[in-house]
Amino acid sequence: MLELSPPLVLLSGPTGFGEYLKLVDPKYVGGVILKTVTLHPKKGNPTPRMADGDFYVINRIGLENPGIHAFIRQIPQLSIPTIASLGGDSFEEYLEVSRIFKEVSERFCGVEYNFSCPNVKEGGLSIVEDTNRWKNLLNEIRTILPNTFLIAKVGIEGVFVEKAAKIVVDSGWNGITLVNTVRGLHFERGHMILGGLSGPLLKPIALRAVYEVRKMYPDLFIIASGGVYSVKDAEEFLNVGANVVGVGSALFKNPEIVEEIGRYLLEVKG
Amino acid sequence: MEKFCLTKKKSIRINEDTWIIIFEEYLDFLPGQFVMLETPKLVRKPFVLGYWEDNLAISVQVKGKGTKWLVEETRKVKGHGPLGNGFKKDGKGILIVSPTCLTMVNAFRKKVNVDVLVGSKTPVLVPLEFDVVVGNEEFLNKISTLPEYDWYLVSGSKSMEKVCWNHLRGKNVYFSLEEYMGCGIGACKSCAVFTKNGVKHVCTDGPIFRGDELCWS
Repeated sequence: MLELSPPLVLLSGPTGFGEYLKLVDPKYVGGVILKTVTLHPKKGNPTPRMADGDFYVINRIGLENPGIHAFIRQIPQLSIPTIASLGGDSFEEYLEVSRIFKEVSERFCGVEYNFSCPNVKEGGLSIVEDTNRWKNLLNEIRTILPNTFLIAKVGIEGVFVEKAAKIVVDSGWNGITLVNTVRGLHFERGHMILGGLSGPLLKPIALRAVYEVRKMYPDLFIIASGGVYSVKDAEEFLNVGANVVGVGSALFKNPEIVEEIGRYLLEVKG
Repeated sequence: MEKFCLTKKKSIRINEDTWIIIFEEYLDFLPGQFVMLETPKLVRKPFVLGYWEDNLAISVQVKGKGTKWLVEETRKVKGHGPLGNGFKKDGKGILIVSPTCLTMVNAFRKKVNVDVLVGSKTPVLVPLEFDVVVGNEEFLNKISTLPEYDWYLVSGSKSMEKVCWNHLRGKNVYFSLEEYMGCGIGACKSCAVFTKNGVKHVCTDGPIFRGDELCWS
């Protein structure tokens, strides 16, 4: 089992490649999940790429990243446990990116696979639609990376989280991140933005997902992701069974919130 | 870069929707740099740094509840910065700006030799010691009859940028860009700019870019 102290991680996406550790004291964070890296570099989507409503943030970054080869040449040297995040545009790309990642896998305490990005045309969210094929993919990745702590990040679309969790467990994976952003639509001064919703609006959905999956799998490692903006939010996720709580868009509001949550978790959880 | 809490000293109305906020504290910054400030909204917003009446100051265009809160309600504001790259050029330049950049103008005037042209859609309510034109037609006339400068820096709305590029292309023209930002530090990748040299980001590569590097289509 992965032990992170405090049980608080900066989530993939908003965290970038660790830039936020300039604003959040690393002693209050148990780990960082880096931005998703794909086989080939991605330019990402045209702007506007983000907007904020009253209770949510919506983004359509489109997985902008330098690609796995450039990533490996310049792996961020961070002072706290680091989890890589990998994604792909197809079944084959997930496998290829895993093979390339294998040579550096020991430099990370785990790897999270992004099976739920709503902002790319191929791969991402659509990869879980065919559950048999997705299960094959998880098995093949496990074969490529037999000793790596493998975490699947899933959303609430494409497949029920309970079913996704069963596939993750049956494939010999170690953990699951619940939940990724949910597809949404936002009007910004008349301009339509189709993207993934995060922020406080997502919290009840993520809480329910963690609750349901924990009931089924007492030993599965669960990273909670969705609308954590306060100590109370973090407590609620731990109460429904999360091993680790993640913060994402709260970083955009105030990095000090993250320190406050981390300080609290250090006191009560160590 | 540092985390800070600024105290508002006063707000001054500049035109119909733009205000200058003067702070009690000082920050060390280079002309062109900006800060991310927290409001009741979920995401901090970028504001270019400058001076007004020799105090640290920002210009704020009231667009919604976050900027309204900054101008009218709060006394303290949290943030982080300074961010982005400073801008320095030799020779005589001109700043072509909207009222939302007036404080930035004063930061430049302390460091470089510049003239200033302000283009405002509505009448400016405070006396300014440089050229001010009101309305699109007067702005167009002024831009098309500008004397030669060693460099030009444009900071305003996207429509102002386009008009200036159409009249000044081929010259040494720079643009201080604005894109929605989540972090201001290069993490979130929301403030992308598709340039002739690939994807760049306003927060870490800018905010000031050469005009001939940008894709104008």
